[in-house]
Amino acid sequence: MRLFVNVLLSGVAQGMVFAAIALGLVLISRATGVINFAQGAMAMFTTFLAYTLLEHGIGYWPAFVATLAIGFVFGGLVERTLMRPLQGKSPLNAVIVTIGLLVVLEGLAGSIWGNTSRGFPAAFSQQGLAIGTTRVAFSTFDVFTVGAVVVLVAAIVALFRWTNLGLRMRAGAFAPEVARLLGVRVGRLFTLGWALACAAGSLAGLLVAPVSSFSPYYMDLYLIYGFVAAVLGGLVSPVGALVGGLVTGLATAFVGGYLGSNLEPMAALVLLLIVLMARPQGLFGTAIARRV
Amino acid sequence: MLQVDGLSVRYGPVQALRGVSFTAEDGVITTVLGANGAGKTTLLRTLSGLVRTHEGTATFDGEPLIGKDPETIARMGIAHVPEGRGVIAELTVDEHLRLGTLSRVPRSERRTAIEDVYGLFPPLESRRHRHAATLSGGERQMLVIARALVSRPRLLLLDEPSLGLAPIVTAQTMATIRQLTSREGIGAVLVEQNARSALSVADWAVVLNLGQVVLADRPERLTADADLRHHYLGF
Repeated sequence: MRLFVNVLLSGVAQGMVFAAIALGLVLISRATGVINFAQGAMAMFTTFLAYTLLEHGIGYWPAFVATLAIGFVFGGLVERTLMRPLQGKSPLNAVIVTIGLLVVLEGLAGSIWGNTSRGFPAAFSQQGLAIGTTRVAFSTFDVFTVGAVVVLVAAIVALFRWTNLGLRMRAGAFAPEVARLLGVRVGRLFTLGWALACAAGSLAGLLVAPVSSFSPYYMDLYLIYGFVAAVLGGLVSPVGALVGGLVTGLATAFVGGYLGSNLEPMAALVLLLIVLMARPQGLFGTAIARRV
Repeated sequence: MLQVDGLSVRYGPVQALRGVSFTAEDGVITTVLGANGAGKTTLLRTLSGLVRTHEGTATFDGEPLIGKDPETIARMGIAHVPEGRGVIAELTVDEHLRLGTLSRVPRSERRTAIEDVYGLFPPLESRRHRHAATLSGGERQMLVIARALVSRPRLLLLDEPSLGLAPIVTAQTMATIRQLTSREGIGAVLVEQNARSALSVADWAVVLNLGQVVLADRPERLTADADLRHHYLGF
């Protein structure tokens, strides 16, 4: 029973991190039809910048906010400089550029900060909370993780659903040509989509770094989990990303907890396989053909 | 006033438009007729900036259109109503209309503008919270026209608005466009394959054949000339 509760709780915390990465993938994919393979590497890079800020004595919260802002600007810059010239060409070109960016960023981070793993501070205590006399595998930091991701997803959903900007973003994502005929400056919205996605990625990076071995490659595996979560959620919906993240987190936690932690990545891929066979459009996707 | 002069468009080896020139006055309906492949849709897509060209000019109230982005042209008040699938399936009827108001209608007048358009198209009002994906073909066509009208356009570019509409709805739609142009003084370029209904509402007719203007005249002259009708319009 105690194992079950612990596995369940750590699955939820894990799942929220996957959801944040999935959200980044979804924001870019629904706007531009591109899967950003550099999503994890960009988050890694901004988290290393946060690490440098912290090393220079900047407080945790100022560094936290600065990192999200850096991620936002970084994402926008990548769209403007690397992705924009590829517009109108095969989506494969853009996908290959993101893979190139992944390799460049990991190499660059390795040469600046070194390839060894190191510790990264957490915003709150990582000690398990005490319930009565027993401690569960769920810390104050995990509470923060869950809260931060839920707030992020809620903010994105609210943006899309209730604001004119969100309406423009949805129109630009679903029908760019029609949106342009209505005066929507779709190019700017693509930039904004990338910026938001990379800010979400930066959040994920800051949440993952304390609980994994922080090195230039620490996000690689998480990108795969995040991808599984995004596909599970249908690749178009922020709520889908959240649910997909939760399902992926729980599945990997249960497989890890009961069958051995080295099976976790395989569990995620098997889950992906099952979903793609049973419901190729994902849990929240519609039956409309998608450009992936 | 829209003035098109010597407009040519090439898709690779295919010459879609060859030196097209015509004028569309404010407050009247100018219909552009021609068989499938005559270049009608290309003409509209070029005017709204979706198709790029370097040959020829097009100006609206003296302001050049060629070389501008579609979104800039839309913000000038040129509303292109694309043929057929111009609705966004994932958005509701009301969201389409809200989207239509964002570029040119002041914030405080948006809701009124939307309600006014519902008055013109009652079937849309009863479906305001439905997703466009659930609408019938006729309702979708109504929606794209309503979305253009709500944007307070100065010029309408209508691509086959009667496509897929029941004859009675076509007649209503044409009457609405007719009313709007004469009352508000906005111009309309009406591209149609259904020449008979277009000629009945238009004030001026331009006939395209293989990308060239072969005739520009008053609609009743075209209707009266049986040879012309048989040759270019097929009725």
